Amino acid sequence: MYYQFGSKKTKWLPYLLLLPGLLFYFIISLGPSIATAFYSLTDATGIKGATVNWVGLANYREFLFMGRASADNLAALQRTLIFCFAVTLIQFTLGLFIALLVNQKLKGTNLFRTIYFMPVILGAVIQGLMWRLFLYPLGGPASKLLALFGLSSEFLGGQPSEAFAWVIFIQIWANMGTTMMIFIAGLQTIPSEMYEAATIDGASTWQVFRNITWPLLTPSVNTNLLLNIIGSLQAWQLFLVLVGYRNGTQVLGYLIYATGFGQTSGSTSSSFRQGYAAAASIILFLLVLVIGMSVQYILQRRERRILG
Amino acid sequence: MISEAKVHKKISWGKIGSYAVLIILALLYLGPLFMLVNTSLKTMPSFMKDATGLATEFKLGNFVEAWNKASFPKYLINSVLYTVSATFIYIITAVFIAFPIARKYIKFSGVFLTLFVIALFLPPALIPQFQLILNIGLYNNPIGYIMLFIVNPIGIVILVNYIKTVPRELDEAAALDGCGYFRFVWSIVLPLIRPALATVVVMHSIGIWNEIIAPTIYLTNKDYYPITRGLIVFQGVYGSNWPLLAAAVLLLTLPMLVLFLVLQRYIVSGLTAGAVKG
Repeated sequence: MYYQFGSKKTKWLPYLLLLPGLLFYFIISLGPSIATAFYSLTDATGIKGATVNWVGLANYREFLFMGRASADNLAALQRTLIFCFAVTLIQFTLGLFIALLVNQKLKGTNLFRTIYFMPVILGAVIQGLMWRLFLYPLGGPASKLLALFGLSSEFLGGQPSEAFAWVIFIQIWANMGTTMMIFIAGLQTIPSEMYEAATIDGASTWQVFRNITWPLLTPSVNTNLLLNIIGSLQAWQLFLVLVGYRNGTQVLGYLIYATGFGQTSGSTSSSFRQGYAAAASIILFLLVLVIGMSVQYILQRRERRILG
Repeated sequence: MISEAKVHKKISWGKIGSYAVLIILALLYLGPLFMLVNTSLKTMPSFMKDATGLATEFKLGNFVEAWNKASFPKYLINSVLYTVSATFIYIITAVFIAFPIARKYIKFSGVFLTLFVIALFLPPALIPQFQLILNIGLYNNPIGYIMLFIVNPIGIVILVNYIKTVPRELDEAAALDGCGYFRFVWSIVLPLIRPALATVVVMHSIGIWNEIIAPTIYLTNKDYYPITRGLIVFQGVYGSNWPLLAAAVLLLTLPMLVLFLVLQRYIVSGLTAGAVKG
């Protein structure tokens, strides 16, 4: 169908009205995204108007191969992968399981859904502070609970690996609701006749799940897997609120922020290593791209096999 | 009869098991909230003595003190200002991007749509964005801060998909009646796509409201802090006084929870938009 508003002379009007939004998008989002690659080859700092020199691949060399710092970087990279794997695996499985539970014909499922989904709106700061109180090491609820089993812990203030594990836990707590909601939306597209037919044929709960629910849930399985993987590779806000920039807990996202903008808000802008941080951003981007694309490829092959 | 009873029994065991899991998990979600409420009603000495003991004083003094000490009114006004103005600019520009793309009233509309979709996979714009804002002189400036949030590619994709469900006959009828393009979009399309608008507006505003990284990077002047940054600063000063801090956190949590109950369905539809289709 063709544009038919007003006289022919106004055909440019849609273009004109589209222009502001498009410009914003290019200037604020798309342009800077692409420019990250260029900045990664420079020694840019946080000083206004300072000369920016071309340094080639020096930032990447330094990030990956130079001494102690690069050992720390590679450890952060490894930690990012562990974080991604643990969060995705648990959040995906738990989200699916809970979605199946609340999708039954039970009373009060709406209430449970709302409760699990609640943290999504609160944001990282409130989520983080809530859990810092709950994990208060001197007699908070979690420490009392552990004491019942004769255990004790310093939680977020304990060993780096322990603090790291708690951030994983809280990350899942905060975002499981989203995964669950996407699965519920998927479950509701499965026609109930299919379940009725299976029940008449005497299929067990597991058989129904294996042969009806799981294959027909493919679109939401794909969405959730990709969202969880990409989201957890890039997430670090909870680290900021829960543990701060602490050795042995950093992930790549936090490392980019800390090198690019100083570890504390009080540090001077001359210590901002923005070229170096841009290089780290590109490395994180490549990680997201490679993992995201491979998972996407596997998922699509699986989808063709199942849904034909 | 016997087999029916058997089936009945089996189902109720499943029910009990389901409820057990759901309730235990719910405790994990409500526990931290309850702890927050309980702590906020206590005095510091009673918190030190027994952190988990039930509050017996029920004093609201912590709330008054937190409100006065934290400059919350100022931070709240900033947050509202940033959220409302950025969301307003964004949604108006977004409608005028999404409508012609959905209707193919512009050339290469497919290419335009792809431009917005690929944004989801591009590297973070953090560093060049900072350089841009810094070099045009809008660092530590509310206008520069608002600029960061007038773009959101996912919202455009949601709007395009929704506008496609609005019948095209409307366009033709309106055009025949001599309705202009701007007036058509503004007074006919806008009301018709209200559900999608609500979803996008809610998603976008929550994102701005809860943002913590951008204010840490871009705003150094205390007068410009939004509420998230204000809360972090407050925590830095009164971090060990948990009753006071809990009252402060709760003051900001309660309105969000009320808003959440009202807006839940829009948030959910935003998250699940397109998810089912893959």
